[in-house]
Amino acid sequence: MGDARQDALLAQMRRGTLQYCVLALLASEERYGFDLVRGLADVDGMVTSEGTIYPLLSRLRRDGLVESTWRESTSGPPRRYYRATNAGRRALADFQREWSRFRDAVDSLVEGKADT
Amino acid sequence: MTRTGDHLVDEYLKRLRRELSDLPRARRRELVDEIAGHIEEARSGLEAENEAELRNVLERLGDPAEIAAEERARSGLGRRRGGWLEYLAIFGLLLGGFVFVVGWFVGLVLLWLSEAWTTAEKVVGTLLVPGGLLPAFLIGLGGLGGYTETCSSRVDPATGAELGVVCTGGPSLAARIFWIALAVICIVGPFFTTAFLATRMRRRAALVYEASAGSA
Repeated sequence: MGDARQDALLAQMRRGTLQYCVLALLASEERYGFDLVRGLADVDGMVTSEGTIYPLLSRLRRDGLVESTWRESTSGPPRRYYRATNAGRRALADFQREWSRFRDAVDSLVEGKADT
Repeated sequence: MTRTGDHLVDEYLKRLRRELSDLPRARRRELVDEIAGHIEEARSGLEAENEAELRNVLERLGDPAEIAAEERARSGLGRRRGGWLEYLAIFGLLLGGFVFVVGWFVGLVLLWLSEAWTTAEKVVGTLLVPGGLLPAFLIGLGGLGGYTETCSSRVDPATGAELGVVCTGGPSLAARIFWIALAVICIVGPFFTTAFLATRMRRRAALVYEASAGSA
């Protein structure tokens, strides 16, 4: 438990799925960076360093999966709000399908249900 | 209005900027602004700001090096280009000659090992001018200084008035022009090479960045 190789694997899995978690949070409502980052960080085990979300957001924006708008804030400087684009929502839907299949397959093998 | 924790935040952002130094300026500024905005939001949410609370905010953000590594990975920049080894190469080529000449060769090896430059650029770095500024220094010492020029005043024996100065043993006009031209090349060359290698390296980093950003 907790050995280095397992840690590295978990980090890889987290890294690979993080962008879909971001898209999921941005699919139905727009959020500003800090709000989004805290939303992810509050889910246990999802994000270890909050700052690493910003490079991901920028990548998603350049890939056209999210878009951003600046809005005035009542409590300070303007905030950059992000929301998923149609392409982003499609990418999320594709991932959800694949992820369900993958998760079920792994579950069935790991939990030994494949034998029955 | 300065707050007690400002120096912690400044220090953090300064480290982040340094870690991102090889990114295109626009992207670096954008990312640093976003992180700075995040810190602002977090600070405004604190009940009473004290150093411990602020340290927690920065710790949750993560090490600047980690954020920079993530940015490089997400943008496809991969290996850090224009890192300190590249700067050491440039520095070694310019001034390494003065470190027992070995320093220049260290710079040369680093230049050829780096992926930040094309072969043509490495050739320029090697040939203009071997030894960096050392040859210019040696020319200053040995070239013109190698002549022992003796000058004497001609004095009118009757009145004791000075008539003029006669010099012998100095370099001829052609030799003077040759040495001065060589000295100019040896001084301007290494500085040109330094600027050339530095700008090429940075521009390439920007191109790699945009190319990877453009491909989905």
